Amino acid sequence: MSSAPSPPQVIVLAAASLPRLAWEALLTAQPGLSVWGTAANADDLTALPPTRAATTILFDFPYPLPPWTAALSETLPDYGRLYLVDDYDLAQIVSLLQAGMTGVISRNATVPELTRGLLAAARGEVVLPPSLAAQALLALAKGNIASQQHPIESLTDREQDVLTLLAQGMSNKDIAQSLFLSVRTIEAHLRNIYGKLDVNNRTEAVLWAVHHGFEA
Amino acid sequence: MTTDNAQKANTQTRIAVLGTLAEFHEAPIPYDLASLVALVAEMNPDLLCLDISMEQWQQQTFYSLPPEYRDALLPLAHQTDIVVVPIGGKQAMPTATATGWRGAVIAGLREVINWLQTGVSGPDALNQGWRHDVGNLLYGLTRRLAGKGSRHTYHAHIEQVSQAALQAAANNPGSRILVVTNIQYCHHIRPLLRQQPDVVETDYTNL
Repeated sequence: MSSAPSPPQVIVLAAASLPRLAWEALLTAQPGLSVWGTAANADDLTALPPTRAATTILFDFPYPLPPWTAALSETLPDYGRLYLVDDYDLAQIVSLLQAGMTGVISRNATVPELTRGLLAAARGEVVLPPSLAAQALLALAKGNIASQQHPIESLTDREQDVLTLLAQGMSNKDIAQSLFLSVRTIEAHLRNIYGKLDVNNRTEAVLWAVHHGFEA
Repeated sequence: MTTDNAQKANTQTRIAVLGTLAEFHEAPIPYDLASLVALVAEMNPDLLCLDISMEQWQQQTFYSLPPEYRDALLPLAHQTDIVVVPIGGKQAMPTATATGWRGAVIAGLREVINWLQTGVSGPDALNQGWRHDVGNLLYGLTRRLAGKGSRHTYHAHIEQVSQAALQAAANNPGSRILVVTNIQYCHHIRPLLRQQPDVVETDYTNL
């Protein structure tokens, strides 16, 4: 079993000590995840040694976020940043994405939903509720994406399947499960799609797909 | 391992088979299912091929599944990146049956197989050692006693499971695939998986 990849790490960022301990206890018990540490503020966070595995910071902070959290997207750019929200509100989600979060998850989510969100954020995915994903990403990137025309024919049937599910706000895991493909295979398809559409990231690919009617 | 060999190992499609007590789903599983969850979580395969039909998967009708699937592996896959691939056919896993004295002997052999598994401490003990070998021998006897029709059904099932697993491998080059099925099928599935030249069939401890 030597080739199994290292489990993704989670850093719990919560101002209050009891929620911090509770999150640590809950997440430590989940298979496929490992808790790297907990922090209450920027000093605690920067004192943690850097992780070697894919990592997500779980934010349990009241909204609006303290100003120092905005710098984390520059100081820890490779970490996913998942924020716990009381409910899904489009304006708040867009504000959080602008503040550097890479995803949000509801406090009413189940433990498997939270775990999957943490895994997806660690992989670099944007974690959003499917019902709001396209609207939030469109609002976030409005005006930033050139409406370029690309031949849809350049995409294989499988790539079109992946793009359709991507535009519906699905995570890589959900796309993989829908098509009975591995997450790594989906990641390979996404790399090919980005190249063929001449886009730089998932957000741009989703926008391209929504513009071209792929979400139906 | 040389750099070339290491690169080759990373791009090879690897597949392993892990046996369960799936047939005895009406009796309590003798070991703690957490040990099965821990074993598979540590392997962290890309794909988890389970002996359930596509219809069962699509309808999410899991209540009738063995507890090893229903209570251990499906919840694990649900909250990790492990993708479930249903590889069973429309028919449920076949069970060797017969009437008359053959049926009575089969029932007796099943009692012995059940007894054999009562001391199993976890999935490792089930898949290795004397219990595994004796259990396999007894399963073979039940199939012989059940007759040609039962053996035909049995071989059609392992053919279905093997081909579906190989199709998953073909769709996911370079992936690590774990097939989890009833312990009695393992010995016959592994040689079928080995026939595919671009797939490496390996022991589950080396996946």
